[in-house]
Amino acid sequence: MDFSAVGAAAAEALTLASFIGIGGGVLLGYVVGVIPGLSRSVAISIAIPMTFYMSPYIAISFLIGLSKGTAAGSAVSAILLNAPGEASSAATALDGYPMAKQGKPKTALQIGLIASVMGDILATIILIFVAIPFARVALMFGPYEMAAILAFALVFIAGLSGGNIFKGLAAGGLGILLGTVGLDNQTGLPRLTFGYTELMDGMPLIAVAIGTLALSEMFVQSEKLRYERGTMSVALKKDDSDRMTWPIFRRILPTILRGTGVGTFVGALPGLGPSVGSFMSYGMAQKAAKEPERFGKGEPKGIAAAESADNAVIPAALIPLFGLGIPGNVSAALLIGAFAIHGITVGPLLLRDNPELLYSIFAGMILASVIMLALGWFGLMFFAQITRVPPHVVIPVVIFFCLAGMMLQGYGTFGLIILMGFALLGYLMKKYDYSFVTFLVAFIITPMLELNLRQSIILSRGNWEILLGRPIAMFFIACTVLALVTLIIRTFRTDKAAAGAPNSE
Amino acid sequence: MPRSDFWSGLAVAGFGLLALLWMIPNYAGSNPFAQMPPELVPGIGAWLMLVCGGIVAVKGLVQILRERISFVTTEFNWAAVGWAAWPFVYVAVAIWFMSFIKITWFGAFLIAGMLLLLGERRWYMILGCSVVPVVLLYVLSVYMMRVGVV
Repeated sequence: MDFSAVGAAAAEALTLASFIGIGGGVLLGYVVGVIPGLSRSVAISIAIPMTFYMSPYIAISFLIGLSKGTAAGSAVSAILLNAPGEASSAATALDGYPMAKQGKPKTALQIGLIASVMGDILATIILIFVAIPFARVALMFGPYEMAAILAFALVFIAGLSGGNIFKGLAAGGLGILLGTVGLDNQTGLPRLTFGYTELMDGMPLIAVAIGTLALSEMFVQSEKLRYERGTMSVALKKDDSDRMTWPIFRRILPTILRGTGVGTFVGALPGLGPSVGSFMSYGMAQKAAKEPERFGKGEPKGIAAAESADNAVIPAALIPLFGLGIPGNVSAALLIGAFAIHGITVGPLLLRDNPELLYSIFAGMILASVIMLALGWFGLMFFAQITRVPPHVVIPVVIFFCLAGMMLQGYGTFGLIILMGFALLGYLMKKYDYSFVTFLVAFIITPMLELNLRQSIILSRGNWEILLGRPIAMFFIACTVLALVTLIIRTFRTDKAAAGAPNSE
Repeated sequence: MPRSDFWSGLAVAGFGLLALLWMIPNYAGSNPFAQMPPELVPGIGAWLMLVCGGIVAVKGLVQILRERISFVTTEFNWAAVGWAAWPFVYVAVAIWFMSFIKITWFGAFLIAGMLLLLGERRWYMILGCSVVPVVLLYVLSVYMMRVGVV
C-alpha cells in the first residue's frame, strides 16, 4: 500500500470542502430517504448534475454520502410511518413500527441508526481491504476475461433483479442496443443516430438515468395518489425512558455483526441488492433467536438485523465496481456515469492511474459514516417531522428538479424530449415488470463490453480456440451458461406454480 | 398477467425485429474491413429483444388459451387511465413551453400548477414549495456552476 497516498487521502478528507460536500450529501440523502417513494437511485440520478462543478473526489464522495444517507433515512419512515422510504427498509418496518406503536419510537430509531452506522463502517473497512487486492488481480485480466465477466454480470443481474429472466434479458437487450448509439470507436461511423448530431456522443446518460429512474417513478407515484393518500406518522415525545440503553446495545451487537456479514456478502454479488440482504439477515436473526416468536412484534434484534445488512450492502456493492469496473446495482451504475462525467475510468485502472483519488474516496466514505451517525443522532426530531410531508407535495418538486437537471447538462429541448421518452419507457417497464435495473446496467456497461469484445476478436483474429488457453475467461463463460440455464429453469418453474394458483389474471 | 405478458412481449419482440430489419441495416453502419463489424453489438441487443420478447409473448399466449380469457379487456376504467395520463401531458406541455422560456422563469408556476392539480390548497405550502426550489436552482446555476440562468 502507498502510505504517502493514504496520508494525502486522509488529509484531503479532513478539509472543510470535504466536510461540506460529504455532509451535504449525507444530509440530502437522509431527507430523501425519509420521504417514502423517493429511492436512492432517484436521489443519485437527480444529484449527478449538481456535481458538475465539484472536484472528482468531492463529487463521488457526495454521491456515496447521499447513497448512505438514503439507506439510513429510509429507516425513519419505516419505523414511524410503517411506509419504508426504500424497499430494503421493509424488513425494518416489521419490528420498527410495532416498537414505535408501543411507545418506544426513539429507541427504535436509535437502534436503527446504530445498526446502520456500524454495518456501514464495518463494510467500508472490508471494502478497503478487499477492493485493492481484488483490483490488483483484475489488472492482470485481459479483454477476454473482462468481456466474459461483463457478460456473466449482465446475465446474473437480469435473472436476479427481476422475477422473469426473459423479461430481464429483453430489457438488457434494449440497454445494449441503446448503449451503442453514437460514433463507433473503430470505424468513426455514426450508429443509430438517425441523422441527429446531438446523438453523436451517444444517448445522454443523464436523460436515460433521470428519465427511467426519477421522472418515471414520479409518474408511478402520482398514479398511486388516486388510491392512497398520506398516512400519519407516530409522533416523537419527550420521554426519558424511550432511549437506547447499554444492555439493549449488548443484546443487538451479535445481530449487527451477523447482519453486516450478510449485507457485505450480498452486496458484493452483482444484482442482488439491499432488499435481499436485509430480508436474508432478518430471517437469519429470527432463526438464530431463542424466542423467534417475538419477531414482528417490536423485537430490537429485528431492526438491527435489517438495518445493518441494508447499510452494509452499499459499500460492499463497490467491491466489484472498484475491483472490476462492474456495477452490481443501479446506484453503482450511476456512479460509473458520474466518474465518466469527471473524466475518470472506474475499475482496476483507477488503482493504477489514480490511487490518491481511490484512497480519498475510501477516507470520504469513513467520514460519511461518522457524519451519518452525528446527523442521525442529533437530528432525529427534525427527520421525524419530514415523514409528515405528503407525497403530493414532493412529486411536483422532484419533477421540476428532473427537468432542471437536464437543462443544467446543456442538452436543451432535444435532451428534454429524450428525457420524456425514457420516462415513458421507465414507466412502462415498471408497469409490465421488465427489469429497468438490467436495462440501465446494460446501457452503461455496453461501451466497455464492446471495447473488450472488439479487442478479443482483434487479438484472437477470430480464432475462438484461443479461449482454451484463458482459464479465467473459460470459467466465467461456463458460469454465464450455467447461470442462464438455472435462471431459465427457475423462471419456468415459477410461472408453472403461478399458473396453477387460482386467479392468475 | 398472461394478457399483459402477451402484449408486452409482442411489443418487445416487434421492436427487436424492427431493429434487425430496418434500424441496424440502415443506421448502424458497416465496414467490411473492420474485424468486428459495427453492427455486431447492436445486433446482439436486438436478437435478445426478439428472442426473449417472443418467449414472453408465447408464454402469455399459451396461458391465455389455456385459461380461455380474451386477448383484450373491455373493462376500461377511463377515469383511472386519465389520472395516470395527465402528469405525462402536463410535463410534455411544460417541455414544449421550455423551448420558449427558461425553466427558472416559469418553474414556480410549473410546480404550483401541479400542486393544485394534485389537491394541495394551502397557499403557504403552494408558495413555499414552488418558490424555494426555483431559488435553489438559480443559486446553483448562476453562482455555483456559473452556467447562467437555465
